[in-house]
Amino acid sequence: MTLEQQTVGDAEIRRFDYDDATTFVADLGDGAAVDVVGDTAIVVTDGRQYDLSLPENQDATAFMKNGVLTIEVSP
Amino acid sequence: MRLTVKPLKQKDAGRGLAAVDRAAMDEIGLENGDYVVLDGNGGRAVARVWPGYPEDTGEGIVRIDGQLRQEADVGIDDRIDVEKADVKPARSISVALPQNLRVRGNIGPHVRNKLSGQAVTTGQTVPFSLGLGPVSSVGGQKIPLKIAETDPEGTVVVTDQTEIEVSQQPAEQITGEAPEDARQTPDVTYEDIGGLDDELEQVREMIELPMRHPELFNQLGIEPPKGVLLHGPPGTGKTLMAKAVANEIDAFFTTISGPEIMSKYYGESEEQLREMFDEAEENAPAIVFIDEIDSIAPKRDDTSGDVERRVVAQLLSLMDGLEERGDVIVIGATNRLDALDPALRRGGRFDREIEIGVPDKKGRKEILQVHTRGMPLDEEIDIDEYAERTHGFVGADLEQLAKESAMNALRRIRPEIDLEADEIDAEILESLEVTETDLKAAHKGIEPSALREVFVEVPDVSWEDVGGLEDTNERLRETIQWPLEYPQVFEQMDMQSAKGVLLYGPPGTGKTLLAKAVANEAESNFISVKGPELLNKYVGESEKGVREVFSKARENAPTVIFFDEIDSIAGERGTNMGDSGVGERVVSQLLTELDGLEDLEDVVVIATTNRPDLIDAALLRPGRLDRHIHVPVPDEEARRKVFEVHTRDKPLAENVDLDDLARRTEGYVGADIEAVAREAAMAATREFIRSVDPEDVDDSMGNVLINAEHFETAMDEVGPSVDNDTRERYEEIEQRFDKRENELEETETSRTFQ
Repeated sequence: MTLEQQTVGDAEIRRFDYDDATTFVADLGDGAAVDVVGDTAIVVTDGRQYDLSLPENQDATAFMKNGVLTIEVSP
Repeated sequence: MRLTVKPLKQKDAGRGLAAVDRAAMDEIGLENGDYVVLDGNGGRAVARVWPGYPEDTGEGIVRIDGQLRQEADVGIDDRIDVEKADVKPARSISVALPQNLRVRGNIGPHVRNKLSGQAVTTGQTVPFSLGLGPVSSVGGQKIPLKIAETDPEGTVVVTDQTEIEVSQQPAEQITGEAPEDARQTPDVTYEDIGGLDDELEQVREMIELPMRHPELFNQLGIEPPKGVLLHGPPGTGKTLMAKAVANEIDAFFTTISGPEIMSKYYGESEEQLREMFDEAEENAPAIVFIDEIDSIAPKRDDTSGDVERRVVAQLLSLMDGLEERGDVIVIGATNRLDALDPALRRGGRFDREIEIGVPDKKGRKEILQVHTRGMPLDEEIDIDEYAERTHGFVGADLEQLAKESAMNALRRIRPEIDLEADEIDAEILESLEVTETDLKAAHKGIEPSALREVFVEVPDVSWEDVGGLEDTNERLRETIQWPLEYPQVFEQMDMQSAKGVLLYGPPGTGKTLLAKAVANEAESNFISVKGPELLNKYVGESEKGVREVFSKARENAPTVIFFDEIDSIAGERGTNMGDSGVGERVVSQLLTELDGLEDLEDVVVIATTNRPDLIDAALLRPGRLDRHIHVPVPDEEARRKVFEVHTRDKPLAENVDLDDLARRTEGYVGADIEAVAREAAMAATREFIRSVDPEDVDDSMGNVLINAEHFETAMDEVGPSVDNDTRERYEEIEQRFDKRENELEETETSRTFQ
């Protein structure tokens, strides 16, 4: 399953393709946290944990700011 | 940094997000999720940064939704200051609900959940959805939640730690710092319109540009456009678009509804019309919106009343008369374009006519996104799938779909609601969720409104239910399904898809069954026309029936039109003059519809008959019903397959040999075989019911089997319905058709010059 087909709670993951990178974002609301372990991004929000599988063999960075989850993937 | 405002995509709207393009983001030093202050000319709004759309990169664009645009008091294409903001987290905020909303219990957590991460200011109204979006009666889709108090003061951010209080005072009594909006404009933004991007762009170009920059037109030496006419089938969003434009442009907006201006006194109807335009002119720049314009501006030749004629004349002179109209733009909307007075439809009055059509798949997806925005949808629901399965649905139908599925969800919790109580439990509200089943059930109950008159429930027949007709099947599929499924191949081969298929063959061979299977599998809209019902006692009405069928089909393409027993309405011309020629005119109408000047795009005609020799030859030529498919009397192998289909779910005894049955049923057609199977089952049933005590029926039912003897009895009763003569006759016809297809030119000319 590709990343944008997964959901975190009710939030939809949106995909933006730029020339140099691809960004995935989701508006989760405050109090959520994210961590990347290998090919998986672990998102915790509302006391529940969601595992998102990232595209393989690519550099991914993830950060959370004011409830907006951003995962940047560069080939 | 100054950026240009653009509308946000439908699915991102309503959450206080601002999509800033990447280059600008780098320049200001922003990251996704940062807070920014949008400083417009008169207003100020706080939003969170959302990544800019890839197509915007480097263009200096910020995309915000209608709500933020209103707060910041900017319009689309305006410039706005975007700065990074430092916003404090809120310790507590208190919100006020509208007076007519009564909820019991603590909705605090629910509110916090929805507002989490958003920036709010005292006095601000936040649209807020309480569970079931469109069903809540308050203010359309959303409940206006007012921020009564914040701690600390100023603009704050709602976090998980923020305490939410519900103020005792209803929202109506709280006046905040934000000035009350005095404008009487409808509350619709561009984000509430789905699937009409091109049309919207055209309307904006016609209306916004002249209002904002009249000097452009002066420079070019032309008069700016003065009117737009929106037309299209009902429910496609004409009125909505006018509302959105009025809302987004800071212009005076007045609407005229036809019947309202009619008065019983002589001359007063026209006066009212004049007053409307006068009022608009005084408040210029202004938009006058005339909904259902056909009701006040019908063709002057056709109207019987004197008043109507004068009203039309008044409207004509108001729109382009001696007097200058000034900065007043007229938007007209109608779904009967042809009923309008032709004098209205010229440049200077309505300069541009914009068709608002039935949305395609992408449009339907956007519309569904708009209508399900405030709805708690189950995770499993795939909007794409529903966009694909709703051919021919217009915006209004899709809204109905969303509403009905929400109603289904509501019905589920109905028993828990105490109607006597004043308030509803907050927990119940939170537990509401629209599931896949709700949506499915709603989808079943809604048919596309444009097709309602001619809509038929598509029968549940698939290719598997058709026994034996492989060749026929394959040819049908090529003709009907391929052009819809692989349009790119047809384009590459520079090939026009076939317009129509004629299925012919002896009665009972499965022609109608095939058409049913096609209707089911082609994923198109299906219109079924029973020949004789088109005929009408008035002159011209029968032909009109044919025209209407085809125009409906065009509007709702892709469509399959099915004419059963087409020989009843398309008999050879010039043979029978007994009916004053109605039959002939219907045939002529059919001919021109199938291959006339107007293009028939994505519409396929399937006709069936068992008398192909009676059909008018012109109808059978290529370009009309180009493919003639003989549905033959089944041979042994085919009969075996038909037997299989009809005995698939029947309990058969071991001694029943389908091969043997197939061998011995020479001359039986599909319908006969079905009858044999039914008779055999009946014989078995008869035997069983007679031999068993009525009380034991339920217990011993499982032991009944249909055996070979039952089939023997059945075959004695049901004889073959096709004899050799008939078969030969059809084979002859088939040969004739083949020949005609091969030596088309010769026969055609000889026929013409006979």
